[in-house]
Amino acid sequence: MQASQWLAREDRGLTERERHTLDQWLDASVLNRIAYLRLKASWQRADRLAALKVPAPLSMQRKARAPLRSRAVWLIAATLALMLGGSAYLVWRLQADQAYATDVGGMQAVHLADGTRMELNTNTRLHAKVTDTARTVTLESGEAFFDVIHDERRPFVVYAGTRRITDIGTRFSVFRNGDDVRVTVQEGRVRVETLGSASPTAPVLAQAGRVVVAKDNETLVLTKCGKEIAESLSWRSGRLVFTQQTLAEAAEQFNRYNVRQIVVEGNARKIRIGGSFKVDNVDVFVQLLHRGFGLSVNEQGDRIVVSR
Amino acid sequence: MAEHPIDEWFMREVLPLEPMLTRFLHRNWRNEAEIGDLRQEAYARVYEAARRERPLLVKPFLFQVTRNLMIDRLRQQSVVSLESMADFDWLNVSDDQPSSENHVAARQELRLLQAALDALPPRCRQVVLMRKVEGLSQKEVAHQMGITVETVENQVAKGMRFLAQALGGRRGAVTAEARRYNLARKPRDAR
Repeated sequence: MQASQWLAREDRGLTERERHTLDQWLDASVLNRIAYLRLKASWQRADRLAALKVPAPLSMQRKARAPLRSRAVWLIAATLALMLGGSAYLVWRLQADQAYATDVGGMQAVHLADGTRMELNTNTRLHAKVTDTARTVTLESGEAFFDVIHDERRPFVVYAGTRRITDIGTRFSVFRNGDDVRVTVQEGRVRVETLGSASPTAPVLAQAGRVVVAKDNETLVLTKCGKEIAESLSWRSGRLVFTQQTLAEAAEQFNRYNVRQIVVEGNARKIRIGGSFKVDNVDVFVQLLHRGFGLSVNEQGDRIVVSR
Repeated sequence: MAEHPIDEWFMREVLPLEPMLTRFLHRNWRNEAEIGDLRQEAYARVYEAARRERPLLVKPFLFQVTRNLMIDRLRQQSVVSLESMADFDWLNVSDDQPSSENHVAARQELRLLQAALDALPPRCRQVVLMRKVEGLSQKEVAHQMGITVETVENQVAKGMRFLAQALGGRRGAVTAEARRYNLARKPRDAR
């Protein structure tokens, strides 16, 4: 028998024997008692309904919502148009060779003069130059996402270490750590070339869903599904998304965004995790490791050591 | 019934936090189907703990227990997905926003109850109305409506489950529950 039946019977009035059985039922399990108390509390609250007794208007009439006046709509549209025009003008200002940088944990969106949008991820330095004949970005370190307005006459080129990435109408990101370069293509195609090499290699063409990993003279093209691409670009919305990554990999990702560095030691490095985190939420992350996996967490200044 | 001294405490201090707790669970737990179950188990843990020693600050205690419970559940899964809990501020345990649930103004409370009552299935609503608004006994209700006392008792049981769900849930939970009921014609077991 369930709690609501007991209470309904109690509401009717219990016999001595029924009361005894109810007591046994309540003592049998805390869950029984909880369920009983919960229903009882709200049933008691319902006593207040007695206040409705006299006129008893039981269902309130809902007022029909007044239709939006068309004049107001026009006013909003006009205001929006003005605002859009204004910001387009602001974006369309001339830019020569311009340097941009973000700190650890920072992020910045930049509109270039040609309409291309760049998003700089944490700890990133680059400079961009847009002229009538060429568009170039040099990524010194870090990661940036590009949403390129395609222009046949002036290709959009990103230099990252020993690699040159040329856009062929696309959205892509470039990550650089020293000479390690990773290009993630979300839309369209890019061409990746190796610069200044003694033995020049053929350029690599990569289309949407591909990740190009380049180191020294090696260039590897990996095929990823849309979800994986979206995950590796999740930093654009300030999140890190993990699917079955090792703890070591996850920590490495976090460390890019935070001054306080997570150090995972021993076989804890191999634990696989999933989840989605705000990039700056290190405290929650290590707390979960502690509580979820029983890992020990030791804070030593800016180092957070995680181990079994 | 054999009243435990903490029963009254539990109803007065813990249960009014239910809307807040339910919202918290909906925000932080992906699988909606498990929420009622989680809540129930959190209550049980709080109750058991209070048997030994009553917590001074009820709200932080309830939420701490719920978090621990969520962690325990996650540990049992083979692949640990921390996703649902990642954005919650775990370290900041005190939950000090003014608790509106605790002292809802009388008029607001009445409106809440009325909305819950309105959302009941028709026959159930009539029984609850006669019992609670008119103040008739179950026997009198049966007599007036020309139905058996057993039927009234069943309708009262059903009404209790709906009301508890409505008063402890999020806004809109009432109608959702009623709709589910009307579709399935099978009352959800509130245990």
